[in-house]
This record gives sequence, structure tokens and C-alpha cells, in this order.
Amino acid sequence: MNGYYFGQGRARWSPYLLLIPGILIYFLIAMGPSLATTIYSFTNATGIRGAPIQWVGLDNYREFLFMGQASLDNIAALGRTLVFCFFVTTIQFSLGLLVATLVNQRLKGTNFFRTLFFMPVILGAVIQGLIWSLFLYPLGGPMAKILEFFGTSSEFFGGQPSEAFAWVIAVQIWANMGTTMIIFISGLQTIPSDMYEAAKIDGASSWQVFKNVTWPLLTPSVNTNLLLNIIGSLQAWQLFLVLLGYRNGTQVLGYLIYATGFGQTSGSVTSSFRQGYAAAASIILFLLVLVLGLTAQTLLARREKRILG
Amino acid sequence: MSTLTTTKSPAIIGGTKHNKVNWAKILSYAVLIIFAIIYAGPLLMLVNTAFKTLPSFMKDAVSITDSLNFKNFVDAWNKANFPRYLTNTLIYTVSATLVYLLTAVFVAFPIARGYVKHANWILTMFVIALFLPPALIPQFQLMLGLGLYNNPVGYIMLFLTNPIGIVILVNYIKSVPKELDEAAALDGCSYFRFVLSVVFPLIQPAIATVAVLHAIGIWNELILPTIYLTSQEYYPITRGMIVFQGVYGSNWPTLAAAVLIMVLPMLLFFLLLQRYIISGLTQGAVKG
Repeated sequence: MNGYYFGQGRARWSPYLLLIPGILIYFLIAMGPSLATTIYSFTNATGIRGAPIQWVGLDNYREFLFMGQASLDNIAALGRTLVFCFFVTTIQFSLGLLVATLVNQRLKGTNFFRTLFFMPVILGAVIQGLIWSLFLYPLGGPMAKILEFFGTSSEFFGGQPSEAFAWVIAVQIWANMGTTMIIFISGLQTIPSDMYEAAKIDGASSWQVFKNVTWPLLTPSVNTNLLLNIIGSLQAWQLFLVLLGYRNGTQVLGYLIYATGFGQTSGSVTSSFRQGYAAAASIILFLLVLVLGLTAQTLLARREKRILG
Repeated sequence: MSTLTTTKSPAIIGGTKHNKVNWAKILSYAVLIIFAIIYAGPLLMLVNTAFKTLPSFMKDAVSITDSLNFKNFVDAWNKANFPRYLTNTLIYTVSATLVYLLTAVFVAFPIARGYVKHANWILTMFVIALFLPPALIPQFQLMLGLGLYNNPVGYIMLFLTNPIGIVILVNYIKSVPKELDEAAALDGCSYFRFVLSVVFPLIQPAIATVAVLHAIGIWNELILPTIYLTSQEYYPITRGMIVFQGVYGSNWPTLAAAVLIMVLPMLLFFLLLQRYIISGLTQGAVKG
């Protein structure tokens, strides 16, 4: 079937032996811990070396979802995660598509625009966050001046939780729209140009061309982008860390997991190193991602079948 | 530089071709320019602030700087402990990327060739990781148990795996003709030497893509250093920046200079390797 040319007998073992390091590391660092999260979620593990770990059954889940004020906060964080996901996904998807179609035209300077819009992606959360903290400097910074011009104002990241939250959504979209755009551009470039020419000969308007040619043929990139945006935004929280810190009324699930598991909070709310509990929260987030991801995947696959046959 | 040409071009393009105003093009440029302002604005603000003095920033944050005040950069460089942090980040990024690539090619090559049994099954196992729960907590327990907490070697270990990279490498290696294997083997080349001295150079574009993708991830990582590294001497630049922000948060000119020092090498890197970054992202997205 597959001929192997580098000798038989002992020499046949070379590919296996050389494959082992990569697989071992993968199991040790990624796969193993990933699966073990489930197990840890049923224990009272802490982050202290040598401390005994006990089996507590479903206690962590019960506490997370059904016990007192803390669980109400947790549910609020869960809801906020969904709100974050909704706004980031829909806006980033739409803007990414708009910009991709614009820079995919035969215009001068499209390379420049493409590079500029993609650039934040590689800068990382720390720089993205710091750049926007400065741009949103409340005491006469550029955005404050712009809002002032329109007769309004904002305290940005220092304002009401909902206001601060909305600005983080904006920065998140600014930071990641480039990826959505790039995936749409690569999708647009697979559409054969004679499709457009045929539509033009038939006298179709730009909107009709987009609706009847571009949009259906773009289905694969639409699916990729929607899934990536949904899953990515459910798990994203680094900008919250850089821009807001662990502030009540703004936490999303990812940040909550980190804060409870590693006790690194900048506010007054601290629960130190409750890793079993944090593992349970990770599993809840994971289930959320799984359910939403699979639902989206199913709906998108059905739609793709209907459109592309 | 090219903004200047683009802002002028709509009228020119619109006018020459059909001798009438091309509204679609004008509208396209108008929207693109609005986006360009939103994208370039924060960066320009950063550059402007980095050259201002603190009093001038306090007086008017958005006025264009009237002097090229390089003192901010000197201050940032000295006070932010930049040389230390940058060295750390470089060590982490380069060593983890090198070790990862070496092991990854030896995983990807036999899978792509079917030189190991159940090759597809092994590949699936790597892809599955993308859909499993986060490994954060048990990973921490593991490092704690191994005594690798607050240890640079332990920190580097966290970055020695990347499933998407394997997928990209496998796909690329499939395009390398198998006759090469046969010819090399006939010449008496061993498997190890073949992969190292023939396959590696042949798949350079894929290696560059994966290396760049992996390296950017390590370079920008913020969460793992806050979890695993407690000694300041081990901090990478990301964590160092957060510390610096904590101390100089109200001195925006110095802070902006520090951010700029961190941004410039990345921008240069990005402009040089843009092709690989973009191909890595699109491939990873489509396959993942």
C-alpha cells in the first residue's frame, strides 16, 4: 500500500521513534490536561503544592449554578458572555464582509487598506488594549473630543459597567476584524470572474450581483467566519483583563475561570486558587461553546446544502 | 505613504475611464477611508503622544507635538526594564518555536506519507484538541507537581505543541513528490537524514508559515506568564508592559513610548512576513 524505502527491520522503526517526542509532548501538555479538566471539576483541588485533593462530586457545579449571590453573579457572567458573543460575532462578521468586498475591487491602494486592517491581529491583547486606553483617554483624548463634537460624552473604561463593557466589545472587533476580512477575501478570490461578467451582461445591478452571485458562492467562508467568531468570542477575555481588570458587572466566563482558579484579581473580589471550582466553570463554558458551535454548524451545513446542493 | 495616493485617486479613476463620475468608486473609497481613520487613528495618537512632554499632554492630549522629545523613549527603556523582558521573550519564543518545529515535522512527515500505521487516526487526534475543554487547570497542577512552576523551562514547555501547525505541515508535505523518498533511499540516505536535509528545505514555505504563527502566539501571550511566572526576572515583555502600566499609568507620554518600542519590531516583522502570517491564518481557519 504505502511503500517505505528507508530499509526494513530495525530501520523501519525510525519514523515511529522520531514521531514519539511530538506525540508525547502533545499528550502531556494539551490532550491529557484537557481531558483531565473534567476530572478536576469533581474535586476541591487548590493551587497549593502538596495540598490534598478530595472528590466532591457535583458540589462545584451545584455551587456555581445554584448557591446564593455568587451563583447569580456567575449566571450574570454567563449571560454577559452570550451578549459579548452576539455583538462581536454579528458586527465583526458584517464589517469584515463589507471591508473584504471593498478591498477586493480593482482599486488603487487596496493592499494598503488590507495591511492596515489586518495589522491589529498580530499586535496582541496587551498592545491592542494599551493603544485603545490612550485613544479613549477620558480627559480630552481623541475619542472624547469626537464625542464632544457630537455633543455627548463617555467615561469609557472608567464608566458604568455596561458602558465599559460596550467599549471592550468595540476594541475586540477592531482587533480581530482583520482575520474575518482575510478569510472573506480568500473566499471572494475563489469566485470565478466570468460569473460576474455573465451577471453584468444580464444587466444585474451591483446589489443583485452581490445577492445572487457573491453571497451564495461565499458560503464556505461565511460558515468558517461565523463559527470562528462565535467560538472565539465566547472564549475571549484577555482584553477585559488589560482594559478593565476584574470589575464587577463586566466579567465574562473566561475571566471568571481565570480569577477563581488563580486568584489574580485586581478588584476586591478574590477567591484564591479554587481550581476544582474553576475547572467546573471551564466545563460549563466548554459546554456552552459546544452547544452553540454544534447548533451553528448544523444550521450552516443545512443552509450550505440548500444553496450549493 | 500610500494613503496620500489613495485619497487622491477616486476622482482620477472616476474621471479617466468613462469620463463621468463613478459614484461606486467614490463611495468605496469614502467607506475605506473612514475605516482607515479608525484603524490608523489610535496608532497615530500613540506616536504623537510618545513624542510629547507630560505637561503638554496634560494641557491638551490631542495637540500635535511641537518637539521630537526622545527623552520618553530613553526613560521607558531604562525604567521599564525592557532589555531584560525583551531578552526573556526572545528566548521563550525562539527556543519553543525551534523545538516545536523540529518535533512537528517528524510528526507531520510520516503522517502525510503513511509511513506509520493509523496515520489518519493520529492526525485526527491532533485536530480533536481544538474541540476539547481548556487545559488550563490540570496543566497548572501538572507544572506544580513537576516543580516547574515559576521556571523558564516549564514555561517554554507550555508552548511545545500546536495542532494547527501539524495540519498545515501535513497538507504541504503531501505536495512533495514521493519519488524523492525513493531516490534518496536508493542513494543510501537514512530516514532521519532525509527528513532533516531534504524535507526541511523543501517545505520551507509551510515551515515559515507555521513558525510565524506559533511565534506570534508566544510573543503576545499574556495569560500564561501571569499564571506561571512570579519572579520579575523571568517576565516576558507582555507581562512587563502590564507592570509598567501599573507604575506609569498616568504618565502617558512615557507609557506610549514604551508601547511604541514594543510595537515597532512587531510591525517590521509583520510587514516582512505578512504573506506567511496570512496564509497561516487562512489555512488554519479552513482546516480547523
